[in-house]
Amino acid sequence: MTTDNRSINLLVYELQERAKELTCIYKIEELLTNQDKPIEDVFSKVIEAIPPGWQFPEITEAKLTYNEKTYRTKKFMNTPWLLEENIKVQDKIVGKVSVCYVTEKPYIDFGPFLKEEQKLLRTIADRLAHYILHRNLQTIFKKIHNGEDKGADFIGDWRIVLDMVRKTDPNLFMSLLRKLHNVLCWKGIEEAEDLMKSSSILEMNLESGNEPDENKPLKKAKIINYDDYINTIIRLTNKFLSYDEVLAKIQKWMQEDKSSELVKVVETQGTSLSEIAEAIRKYFHIAPEKFELTLQTAKGLRVSLLRRFFSDDLTFISVAKEYVKLTDFYNLIDRMIFPPSSHGKLGGKSSGMFLASNILRKDEQNAELFKDIKIPKTWYMTSDGILAFMHYNNLEEALEQKYKSLAEVKLEYPHIVQSFKNSQLPPELSKGLSVALDDLGDGPLIVRSSSLLEDQMGAAFSGKYKSLFLANQGSKQERLNALSDAVTEVFASTFGPDPIEYRAERGLLDYHEEMGIMIQEVVGRQIGKYFLPAYAGVAFSNNEFRWSPRIKRDDGLVRMVAGLGTRAVDRVSDDYPILIAPGQANLRVNVTIDETVRYSQKKIDVIDLETNEFKTIDFEKIIKKYGHLYKGLNNIVSTVEGSMLRPVGFDTEFEDEDFYITFEGLLNNTNFVKKLRTMLITLEDKMKCPVDIEFASDGESLYLLQCRPQSHSEHHEPDIIPKNLPKDQVLFSANKYISNGQVPKLSHIVYVDPDKYASLPDKKTMQDVGTAIGKLNKLLPRRKFVLMGPGRWGSRGDIKLGVSITYSDINNTAMLIEIARKKGKYVPDLSFGTHFFQDLVESSIRYLPLYPDDEGVVFNERFFQISDNIFQYLLPEYANLADTIKVIDVPQSTAGLFVKILTNAELDEAIAILTSNEKFDADESQRIGYGSSSSSHQWKWRMDMAKKIAFEIDAKKYGIKGMYIFGSTKERTAGQGSDIDLLIHDDGVLEQRQQAELWLDGWSKCLAEMLYLNTGYSSDGLLDLHFITDEDIKNKTSWAIKINSMDNQAEKLDLKIN
Amino acid sequence: MSSGDFNAFEMAQAQFDKVAELLNLDNGTREVLRIPLREYHFSIPVHMDDGTTEVFRGFRVQHNDAKGPCKGGIRFHPQETVDTVRALSMWMTWKCAVVNIPLGGGKGGVICDPHNLSMNEQQQICRGYVRQMAKNVGPINDVPAPDVMTSAQHMLWMLDEYEVIHGSKNPGFITGKPVGMGGSLGRKEATGYGVIYTVREALKELKIDPKDTTASFQGFGNVAQHAIELYTQLGGKVICVSSWDQEDQTSYSFKRETGVDLPELLTITNKFGGIDKAKAKELGYEILPGDEWLVQEVDILVPAALENQIRGDNAEKISPKVKLIAEGANGPTAPEADAIIEKKGIFLVPDFLANAGGVTCSYFEQVQSNMNYFWEKDDVLNRLDLKMTSAFLAVSELAKKKNLYMRDAAYVIAIQRVAQACKDRGWV
Repeated sequence: MTTDNRSINLLVYELQERAKELTCIYKIEELLTNQDKPIEDVFSKVIEAIPPGWQFPEITEAKLTYNEKTYRTKKFMNTPWLLEENIKVQDKIVGKVSVCYVTEKPYIDFGPFLKEEQKLLRTIADRLAHYILHRNLQTIFKKIHNGEDKGADFIGDWRIVLDMVRKTDPNLFMSLLRKLHNVLCWKGIEEAEDLMKSSSILEMNLESGNEPDENKPLKKAKIINYDDYINTIIRLTNKFLSYDEVLAKIQKWMQEDKSSELVKVVETQGTSLSEIAEAIRKYFHIAPEKFELTLQTAKGLRVSLLRRFFSDDLTFISVAKEYVKLTDFYNLIDRMIFPPSSHGKLGGKSSGMFLASNILRKDEQNAELFKDIKIPKTWYMTSDGILAFMHYNNLEEALEQKYKSLAEVKLEYPHIVQSFKNSQLPPELSKGLSVALDDLGDGPLIVRSSSLLEDQMGAAFSGKYKSLFLANQGSKQERLNALSDAVTEVFASTFGPDPIEYRAERGLLDYHEEMGIMIQEVVGRQIGKYFLPAYAGVAFSNNEFRWSPRIKRDDGLVRMVAGLGTRAVDRVSDDYPILIAPGQANLRVNVTIDETVRYSQKKIDVIDLETNEFKTIDFEKIIKKYGHLYKGLNNIVSTVEGSMLRPVGFDTEFEDEDFYITFEGLLNNTNFVKKLRTMLITLEDKMKCPVDIEFASDGESLYLLQCRPQSHSEHHEPDIIPKNLPKDQVLFSANKYISNGQVPKLSHIVYVDPDKYASLPDKKTMQDVGTAIGKLNKLLPRRKFVLMGPGRWGSRGDIKLGVSITYSDINNTAMLIEIARKKGKYVPDLSFGTHFFQDLVESSIRYLPLYPDDEGVVFNERFFQISDNIFQYLLPEYANLADTIKVIDVPQSTAGLFVKILTNAELDEAIAILTSNEKFDADESQRIGYGSSSSSHQWKWRMDMAKKIAFEIDAKKYGIKGMYIFGSTKERTAGQGSDIDLLIHDDGVLEQRQQAELWLDGWSKCLAEMLYLNTGYSSDGLLDLHFITDEDIKNKTSWAIKINSMDNQAEKLDLKIN
Repeated sequence: MSSGDFNAFEMAQAQFDKVAELLNLDNGTREVLRIPLREYHFSIPVHMDDGTTEVFRGFRVQHNDAKGPCKGGIRFHPQETVDTVRALSMWMTWKCAVVNIPLGGGKGGVICDPHNLSMNEQQQICRGYVRQMAKNVGPINDVPAPDVMTSAQHMLWMLDEYEVIHGSKNPGFITGKPVGMGGSLGRKEATGYGVIYTVREALKELKIDPKDTTASFQGFGNVAQHAIELYTQLGGKVICVSSWDQEDQTSYSFKRETGVDLPELLTITNKFGGIDKAKAKELGYEILPGDEWLVQEVDILVPAALENQIRGDNAEKISPKVKLIAEGANGPTAPEADAIIEKKGIFLVPDFLANAGGVTCSYFEQVQSNMNYFWEKDDVLNRLDLKMTSAFLAVSELAKKKNLYMRDAAYVIAIQRVAQACKDRGWV
């Protein structure tokens, strides 16, 4: 535009002019946004705003004429130097805006005016026209809304609306008319139907009497007499529809029209997220919130948006569509980072969070309780960010990783992590992160994975992908670098051995996995140089770890700690989170002061703001130094005075006293438990599945950090526990913390001898045990072996407390058994509520704690000692561990028997028995509806069977005169081990008796088998037969005394009469 | 304890019979002392938090009150049986008698597992217990105290209920109260100091200067720590202490020939008496296996941790240098080990004498509560010294005179005192 010979001064001058013009427009625009002020006020301000936009503001005056009123600046007059523009509303001139110079200036483009100035005036006129139109419409709607102006004027009003639409937007007008027509038809207005049939002016002309020939096809409808058609519709509408109805409908349809653009964009498969985001923004710009979408449109939009942003999962959509509003998406798009042309989603974690927060926010019933539950500020990166990143850095080969052998995956993983971390994020993602950082500020952040697979119903990838804490301190560039680094590290974790193994196992390898990212501010406060929440934890709808029989499964479970929640989520070997069953919050795990003190949390996870590190420090240290700064501390800790717990008070000396994390204050003096419980119940109810949430508090408010379905498996039927088994048939029994879960029959036992393990010479050898277990895991038949070992499997802390393994080292076992041999008063911490345990639950690996030293518990140590050990043949390279690790091939050691482990959570009992193969196949193929093993069933079933036998037996053939039952069945005391005592009165003919015995023996064996199938109790036969003759009865010899005995009299059974 | 093969009450009776035979007690006295004077069995209905009602079984056994009001704890235990309570009440009678305080023996219990009860429900049980027993207990009849799975909190609930029922303040109704709520100072020190008071007297008797002695302690809890404190003040040198290591799930002995510096050791000890191994090493302690404390070449052994620690299989390993064993813990010596100790000529201060500092202090709490005047800590400890010393002297004199093993002498003196009281009252 500029040429070289133009002087710089001129250029600057022009730019100044453009700036003035823009300022003028902005100012007017600003004035016009105010729809509520009287029009006079607005216009008188508008004319004041005009002159400054012109070249010589000091000699410029303005005038505005509208609605027979004139607004002018003080010195306006009609001079020769005048510029004018008409204000046209619906093609009608309704006013005029003029500008004049009061003194003469050199002529330029249009007289003394610039051509830009003329353009400016036209823009102003247009803008004023728009304003006037909008204002008119609004007035009309407002009047109607307020029910003013009833009467004849009414009709005129909606007509005015239509009229205006007709002039401004013919397409919309025709669409409205069509819709009105439809309404008329639905109402059954004949004329309208006729009109519809023809949809044409031709037909309308028939009104005058010409009937159409019904046999002829109708002529293709063509609206030729446009005005007639319109008039007819308007006339009919006027006649048949109520005023309110028409207006409401027109309003609604016009609104739908506004959303149609959005609907189109969202519904179109190919549109990218940025286009969708743009459409949402535009929609909110043009459609003020006052207009509500129709239910269907809104729902349709929500579903489409849910699908595009979150998940195709129908279960998720069906729930979410009820709670998520369009506004929620509007608020979301500003916090999203995605590659251009992205088609990604936000991933499981984000979906759960988004849904849960909306459910809680919209729960009216508990609005009071939930009103201060907060959600930390969060930014999202879409799942295809990782693809863009890999593409940008040529790292796509990593995608093949999942099809490699696990060994290769393991081997190459560190390399992948390194190459990911040394690569750059594509500029648009980097830019997004930068914007996010500006918004999130310089408080600590957590970068969480939110992959498409993660956290979906039924597959908790809990802990498989990384979540990283960032102190987020330093210069913007330093913080951005750290954040980018964390993001790439989370990306890399997609290709780690654990998730790949896990996916392979669940048949999810081919599922296209993408990794979304959630960047969340860490809830908490700075205390000294540390940053930490006052407390944090996890909560589950279902309690799978009940420490008291009074606690029911649906009482839920909370695992909470002071400081960062990592200690509540992960297994920590030497520390104890507080466990609470929110449904029975008063039933504590630790009851005596001694227990409370001993099993209290000693260490705390924090972010060190100075070293930018995640750290574990002694809780005592932080309290002694910074106790007075710790917000909400009185809810968290207690001091101990004698044997009384005391709250932290006004006069507490933090340096002198000992503090224990008890959460007494929180549990007793706040509505925390109620809140959490209601939250769990509400979320479970609305999401239609048990949930698992993470929470944290800064000492004031409770924050919801995460919500996902609680992992569960289908087989939760309790087994029937057989009683009175011979001792050598039982391997072990347990009566504490049993959860239901069927275990397949087992052929191998891997037994890590607790004593031998404890006496291993060094840490290295102990680690070897873990490695050897990992190898056995690959060698032994999948899900056919059980791992038994001391203390805690996979303990992340002291290796002496349990064999060090990861999930992939044990994933083939059918059951993981932790043996807690009593050592003093020590009882090991159970692994519930940790990532590791959830893995077990997810893969249907059962978990069982054994307390061999407890009363009433069987532990067949001899079996484990005398059985042959095949360990050294399987892993000769670890022969030195053969003493510690014992692998028992059960069928080989027991001449063909197998191990079956039966569990029953209702009774809190479990038992492992040796039994033969065939019976198991029967067991697994059919389970008879036997219900319970209680003794009332036992005698009844036996009695029924005895009656059935008596009824079935061919008495004539076998010479039987009568049958009686006596003993425990008759006395109603029969248990699982009882047999059925039958007294058979016959002729005493040997041959017949033998035949009868044969027939009855068949029954006997058959009943034994039924009993076995139902209770697991095995015997050779169930019938105990006693034959007597007439003579016996007469002489009261042998068993005949039972017939008329005073006590234990036998009961006569009915024989079939034939 | 409910299983058929072991009955605590029968065992207590057998023990009594043995001494009764020795004392040649008449039949009437034997009968009175063999079985409790009174037993109360009652139901405590409780409205549970979930709206249901549960009924708990409670007991109070008053074994003998010839020497004064019964004294004994109230236990909450799921496997509680009346026989256990009977046995414990009898032992309380002897324990009070051996230190010669004017109290009889009692014990109570409720069949319940506090692990399945909320604090509110436990409070209901406590109050229900007192409502059932209010007429039969009290500062001048029967004085309960905390015991297994009951604490100061339970005692305060019970006290409050009792006071509500009687419309008066009776802090002497119960002991084990927190200081400031009717509790006594010196309670923390009482047992440990009591052990050393008897050690001091025993050494006097053995004509050994405490300054010339060395000692080895098992355990580093409250009792051991205070015992070591006082023993060191007397000039003795502790060269070995064993303590339980929570992390390693085993115990270790910490040995330093130059002697244990208690304040120094306490700085590296956690709340449960667990000593930091690494830091101990830095301080010059030798870390030895847990049972090494027993075989040290010292003059005095103080088992102050668990029961059944000196057994037939290890008693022989006790160094010939050892001259005195003071039982700070309850029942640290197995019966078969007693014979070995006796044979070795080691002087033994039996548990219910050595650790009677606790019950004596409870008695002081009761006395102070009844007069509603509370002593200074020194006051309490001085009186404790007096009581323990005279109790020890009586037992050892008898042992010398009748050539009895100290444990037997203690029983003899206790039973004799109670029997005498019954006689003097004209009961038998």
